[in-house]
Amino acid sequence: MTGSQISQPLLEAKQLTKQYGDTVALHSVDMGVYEGITGLLGPNGAGKSTAMKLFLGLLQPTSGSAEVMGERPYENVGVRARLGYMPEHDCLPGAVTASEFLGHMAQMSGIPPAYARTRAADILRHVGLDEERYRHIKEYSTGMKQRVKLAQALVHDPVMVLLDEPTAGLDPGGREEMLQLVRRTGRQFGISIMLSSHLMGDVESTCDRIIVIEGGEIIEQGEVSQFTQETRTLLIDVDDRREQVLAALGQRGIDAETEGHSIVVLMSADEQLDDIRDAIAESEARLRRLALSRGQLTDIFRSGKR
Amino acid sequence: MTQSTAEIYDLDYQHYDGPREGRSRAVRSLWVNSFRTVLGLGRGARAKILPGLMFLFVITPAAGIVLLASISGDSDALLSHEAYYSLISLFLLLFSAIIAPEVLIPDRREGVISLYLVRPLTIVDYVAARWSAFAVVAFGLALSGQTLLLVGFLLAADNPADYIRDNWLDIPRFVAGGAVVALFITTIPMAVSAFTTRRAYAAAFVIAVFVISTSLAAFLTAETCPGGSQLQEGVVVGDTQDCDRITGDFAKWFSLLDVGNAPIQMSNMIFDKDPTNSNERIAAELNSVVRVAWYALLVVGPGALLLMRYRRMSI
Repeated sequence: MTGSQISQPLLEAKQLTKQYGDTVALHSVDMGVYEGITGLLGPNGAGKSTAMKLFLGLLQPTSGSAEVMGERPYENVGVRARLGYMPEHDCLPGAVTASEFLGHMAQMSGIPPAYARTRAADILRHVGLDEERYRHIKEYSTGMKQRVKLAQALVHDPVMVLLDEPTAGLDPGGREEMLQLVRRTGRQFGISIMLSSHLMGDVESTCDRIIVIEGGEIIEQGEVSQFTQETRTLLIDVDDRREQVLAALGQRGIDAETEGHSIVVLMSADEQLDDIRDAIAESEARLRRLALSRGQLTDIFRSGKR
Repeated sequence: MTQSTAEIYDLDYQHYDGPREGRSRAVRSLWVNSFRTVLGLGRGARAKILPGLMFLFVITPAAGIVLLASISGDSDALLSHEAYYSLISLFLLLFSAIIAPEVLIPDRREGVISLYLVRPLTIVDYVAARWSAFAVVAFGLALSGQTLLLVGFLLAADNPADYIRDNWLDIPRFVAGGAVVALFITTIPMAVSAFTTRRAYAAAFVIAVFVISTSLAAFLTAETCPGGSQLQEGVVVGDTQDCDRITGDFAKWFSLLDVGNAPIQMSNMIFDKDPTNSNERIAAELNSVVRVAWYALLVVGPGALLLMRYRRMSI
């Protein structure tokens, strides 16, 4: 158990269920979101947005509870002053400047006008829109609009922000810039984040922890490193004489399979490494790679599908 | 040794440790934003044209009446407070039909409402702030002409003190009448705006409701008089004792269909004013409780629809 898990969860779901008519969007979910950056990973329709809306108090749970710092946001709207939210869809007015909009949004979170103006200017500088802040939002590019969306979620200095697919619609360059901004928000600004995404790369490169949701149920949760650590699977890439390598491994009683261009060995003991080395040397193949494979988040879905 | 005036600023992220005013600040901020939207404040010149024009249209009749009163020196002979809302009702209705959708629709169309509703305020707070800001502007607009009229009459009077002593009751009456009119012209267009994301559709629908209901009521309450002339809505000319209504005794009930006339009926009741045209006269045959109930239904009904629509909205 890590240090972050010892503290109280910022968001906590207890037996949380949400139904829309006969459709069950979330089924008896238990989860905790702690300080740091947490990824909520799942395919479209898995229940990620429903979970976020329940924590934001936009929806009432059918049963169970969704709590933010010990408060239920659907009943106590005051707690929302410490939350930020960046929706996936368009949510910006076109006919106002970013500076004016952020000042208004800060006030909407309870910040008095004089402080709101300062906060708006500061946050726009942090998201890289300092020079553009007096332009109408309708003149912004998609990437700049995403930054304004993030800025409005941060302008009131929340304890936690919920980001719903923050890289949606961005080109690869814009996507990486947005992820860097998210990492900076979490690590440098010290604002905890729950990031919802269906893109494993985004979650893997950005988050400390991960909650995997599918079909309205949590199928895995834990540290990202826990899912990406080394496995007992050895990958052997050779430029030639692959059949000879396989035969040499077989002679030594080592089961090996081919997967794409690689030879894959599921090791039972470290001592097998000597035999594997000898088998490759005997076959006189030109070795390109010999490495233990690392787990990938996709493995969760491969093993977790039910 | 010279003292340096240079300062070092820490440009890293700073956490906010100032005051947090929660829900009350959120509601006030939304209210101010709505008020500014209605008047086009902080936006381009185009956004200010319509509110400005409507203000002009609403006070121009008052300015004309005052001018005539000052020339003739006889304020009693001219149109006074009791008939003023009837005179400007068309402009007030147009104003609300066109501007009220501006307050509600863009939030849903542009998706900003999803940012508002994750702030520390409820959906009822949101609707109440938007609604009340428009109602205050509508109330101010309704009162502006009446206020100008009052000031003009005071200035035209030989003795302003005598004028006030004789006519003081007009002041609470036109304030109450203004509130009645403002409530009405705020709630219906707001309710309509809750059901569409197109401002033009909302404005067209509201105007159509008023035009069609007025025409329908005029048709159903028309009077056929000996000699073949048919009186519809308009000034009563001569003796109408012998005229027959085409819907007979039901005509007074059909007069309620003229929804735009409902606040004018209320204003007439507040001023204890005699009806001056056939439509007002027919409606005045109904018990005042019925007329008040009908007005209340036309305000409370759309108001409830407005709230219900927002409470059931999925964000």
